Amino acid sequence: MSVTRRKVLAGSAAGAASLASGLASPAIAANEPLRIGFLPALTGPSSSTGVAMNRGTELAVKEINDAGGINGRKIELIVRDTQSDATKAVNAIAELTHRQKVHVVWGPLNSGETLAATPLCARDGIPMIQPCWVDTLIDVKKYPMAFRNAPTNMQIGNAANHYVMDVLKKKKVAVIGDNAGYATATVAAYVPLLKEKGATIAYQGNVDAANPDLKPELLRMRDAGAEAIMPWSVNAGFLARILNARGAMGWDVPVVGQTTLGSGQTKALLEKPENWEKVYSNNFKNCCYDGSGKLPEKAAAFREKLAKLKIDMSDTLLWWIAVGYDAPTLIAETVKAAGDTPKGITGYWNKLTNWGGIYASLTFTPEQHNGLPDAEVVMCQANSLKDGAFNIAPGYGA
Amino acid sequence: MLESIVSYGLAVGAVYALIGITYNVMFTASRVFSFTAGMLGMLGGVLGALFIDRMGMPAIVGLLLVLACGAVIGVITEIVAVRPVLRSIEQHLYVLSTLAFALLVAQFTAIEWGTDASPFPRLIPIDEGLLDQKFWIPMLACAATVLGLEFLYRRTLIGRAFLAIAEDSYAARALGLPEVRLRLASFALAGVIGALAGFAGGEMLLAFFGNQSILNFYGFVPVALGGMGNNRGAVVGGLLLGLFQQAANFLVGGIFASVAVFAVFIVVLLLRPEGFAGASGARRV
Repeated sequence: MSVTRRKVLAGSAAGAASLASGLASPAIAANEPLRIGFLPALTGPSSSTGVAMNRGTELAVKEINDAGGINGRKIELIVRDTQSDATKAVNAIAELTHRQKVHVVWGPLNSGETLAATPLCARDGIPMIQPCWVDTLIDVKKYPMAFRNAPTNMQIGNAANHYVMDVLKKKKVAVIGDNAGYATATVAAYVPLLKEKGATIAYQGNVDAANPDLKPELLRMRDAGAEAIMPWSVNAGFLARILNARGAMGWDVPVVGQTTLGSGQTKALLEKPENWEKVYSNNFKNCCYDGSGKLPEKAAAFREKLAKLKIDMSDTLLWWIAVGYDAPTLIAETVKAAGDTPKGITGYWNKLTNWGGIYASLTFTPEQHNGLPDAEVVMCQANSLKDGAFNIAPGYGA
Repeated sequence: MLESIVSYGLAVGAVYALIGITYNVMFTASRVFSFTAGMLGMLGGVLGALFIDRMGMPAIVGLLLVLACGAVIGVITEIVAVRPVLRSIEQHLYVLSTLAFALLVAQFTAIEWGTDASPFPRLIPIDEGLLDQKFWIPMLACAATVLGLEFLYRRTLIGRAFLAIAEDSYAARALGLPEVRLRLASFALAGVIGALAGFAGGEMLLAFFGNQSILNFYGFVPVALGGMGNNRGAVVGGLLLGLFQQAANFLVGGIFASVAVFAVFIVVLLLRPEGFAGASGARRV
């Protein structure tokens, strides 16, 4: 048989066409690992969250890979420590999307870093999922591929306001923050929400975080008839001073507010353990002990697994590890069902309904990329930490 | 209310006064306005908590170690941030170098110690009386420092040498006084006083790296009010500042209390730029 130039060209064209066709690409994709770019802050001042979430993420990836991967594809977790620094997070995002060609980004895990990184991810068209609370991080028009698997600041505020007004039935509220950016913005945002719910703001103020004596402020609150104090600050020293001043005054008023109220740093600064009574901090229903002292089924099994694997929980919170575990689990399920293309991942997430993680059940729509349901943000007893989890605050019912 | 204003006001004022004295001791010996005073105060609290709380040392041993560390850091400040730039013509250079050194130490502390406030131990195991120890310890430290400095400057040879350098360094050098060694000693002394300020006020201010900026500023106010280099003025200025600040906390509250302090500070400086106790210096022409 003679081989003519026309036949060679025709054969080559057919080969090229078959390579470019839909039949060839899954074959290549099936051989390469799924690359997840992960951006925790493992060092630096804001690393406690990142260290904990990293434990959950590494565990989930190991489990998926040990079970054979996603349809035979292994997950390659490409971790870049942001060192709690937004500049490093930006550099890491650029490296992950351009050089490492990751399929999806998980993180960063601190708001400041995510504020800087999200526009870059959007520009490069890489789907990202992140757990930071700043409301503006999610904007389906500006960042159509960015999703949140944690609450927004508004959800946190609404949960606290709901607890004060609807559960504790307190109508006169004192709202206080320090003079840092987070606290001033939060107080300004949450006070209108309280007013909308019909609360009377007996006191509203921002105080120098280093002020050693907050008794004058608490006297002002008490004189104004406040029935609950809502402090918004991430400064453990500031929060402990509020609790100590309340204790010294012998004022039996509930304190309802930020997660840091229940932190070990706050505890260490209390003058008396009693000063931690009637203090309620934000938490999440799926990772709290119920009225009978039991964790929800999934969280209990997860904690048992962590204990068996000797994953350290003494210095951290269960929900942090659970968030870290849920993210790669969701990504793996997504890629299994919809492939690894940005369009496939985003399209799958846009239709995600009540996806049951350990930490949260997520629902996204094309118009709403904040996945956590309001009802899962609750208050817990700040002084009840045991094995990484807190008791749900009284009044939520069964 | 009055009780709280007086107890807290005088206690915080005593810490401010000590930081003001720290500024003065460095300034009089070198004519360098070193912004490491707040850093020394911050380290006094952090190191005190480290030695006593975390390492389990007795309070007295912790105090002595803190003071020793303060002296060493004072000496390092002089060697690293003052001496190399002291001969520069532009005066602001050494202000910047001391500020840079202070920021460097603050960042190092933040990384190694953490950015959250940590508890400072109760120094004396006694119950709260009429006036708790967290109030009277800073006052006692301030009084002891003032008396000690008076004794040093008026009754000892080295103290008189300090004064001679402060009055006229050229004449003192001409008389054979070792200016460099005396300056080094004055920075060590300032280190001790600054660290003592943070240690004595630790139960109020906690062990917190963020105290540096607060102490730097509020410690500067009594110096400005009392006159540069005037320790008695710094003590009066510091105590008045503490009382006024605490009164403003009660009467105005919130961040407006700080605004009130700044407003009064600006008004006083406009009316008397040399401070209450300072004298207008004659200018050489």
